[in-house]
Amino acid sequence: MHISEGVLSAPVLVAGAALAAGGVAVGLKKMDHEKIPQVAVLSSAFFVASLIHVPVGPSNAHLIINGINGLLLGWLCFPAMLVALGLQAVLFQFGGVTVLGVNTVIMALPGVICYYLFGGLVRDERRLISGVSAFLCGSLAVFLSGILVAFSLVFTQESFFSAAMLILVAHLPVMIIEGIITLFCLAFLRSVKPELFGGIHGKTP
Amino acid sequence: MEKRHDIQSLAFMLLIASLLIAVSNPPALAHKVTIFAWVEGNTVYTESKFMGGNKVRNAQIMVFDGEGMQLLEGTTNESGEFSFKVPKLADLTVVLNAGMGHRAEWTITESEIREGSGTSKGEPAPKTSQQRAVGLNKEEIKELIEDSLDRKLRPIMRMIAESRSRGPSVTEIVGGIGYIFGLMGLALYFRNRIKEKQKDNRDD
Repeated sequence: MHISEGVLSAPVLVAGAALAAGGVAVGLKKMDHEKIPQVAVLSSAFFVASLIHVPVGPSNAHLIINGINGLLLGWLCFPAMLVALGLQAVLFQFGGVTVLGVNTVIMALPGVICYYLFGGLVRDERRLISGVSAFLCGSLAVFLSGILVAFSLVFTQESFFSAAMLILVAHLPVMIIEGIITLFCLAFLRSVKPELFGGIHGKTP
Repeated sequence: MEKRHDIQSLAFMLLIASLLIAVSNPPALAHKVTIFAWVEGNTVYTESKFMGGNKVRNAQIMVFDGEGMQLLEGTTNESGEFSFKVPKLADLTVVLNAGMGHRAEWTITESEIREGSGTSKGEPAPKTSQQRAVGLNKEEIKELIEDSLDRKLRPIMRMIAESRSRGPSVTEIVGGIGYIFGLMGLALYFRNRIKEKQKDNRDD
């Protein structure tokens, strides 16, 4: 999902950077004392998850875990992912420094959207509803990221539809796997750390 | 009470993170492509790979000269290779576009091309060299040496191409996590200072 350096045109890069800066600002504002360790841990989880290769399907795809990141962090996933993506760019040469803003938006914005869509549903008392929405949250985040990648490529030379199809087909296995991972993670967190969930609705993260 | 929750959740999250590292498989992953190009005679060979060593198949390759003029275009074959005759004696930039925002480039300098093709451009050496084994002239010796060097160096070129597409090492991964926790420490430190200052102000 990381867009390489030199692919996008300057307006897209600037727009991405501006959006990312806005998201990070909102995130930092909402980051209070006891949230900092959580942000750091999820940031590092995201940092390593990109190294997990999903060897299914036609292309090389990897885990993103932006669904669960968004669900647990809300707007805080913007700073979390900025840090992780920045380190990936510097240490692994994934993406790059100039595309950092665009890549941050691609990964973090779906997380925030999922937070608003599923934040309440995954907390539902009924196991079926919370389970299904956890699964949907994990896969929808990847789906939205793919759409955003295709959208940023529109302004280069690729047509939106073909790029989106290519990306979504390549990430179909990832979507399913992410859905399952999110499902199990949330089920586990629910029984082990229920207060992690109470936090989102009780007070704003 | 808050503090204890923090530590607990931190410990739990660390567990998840380390599990992720444990199942992660660094040598095989995407999101980075590399292209490697070298000159042999008057042909440029390129090899394109995803990080981890998977070949980039049917991807677009474009060749530009120093001024940004596109000279030629092609697609990689099943093993990620593409070769072309040197179109022009100039700095060549070979750009790989693997789609989905994956792009990489490699530049071959003019001197590299000159060195690669320098001898083969001259007059074809007379075939009489076998007859007079001792009387090899300078040009012929040069050509022979370059021929065998090309052959000998090919595996090394390949090795370099291979190592360029290697995944991140454990040191880098652990280092990155370390940075994140360092940042966390910094953030906590500054938040604490702000809190203490506010407390001091209230006490005054």
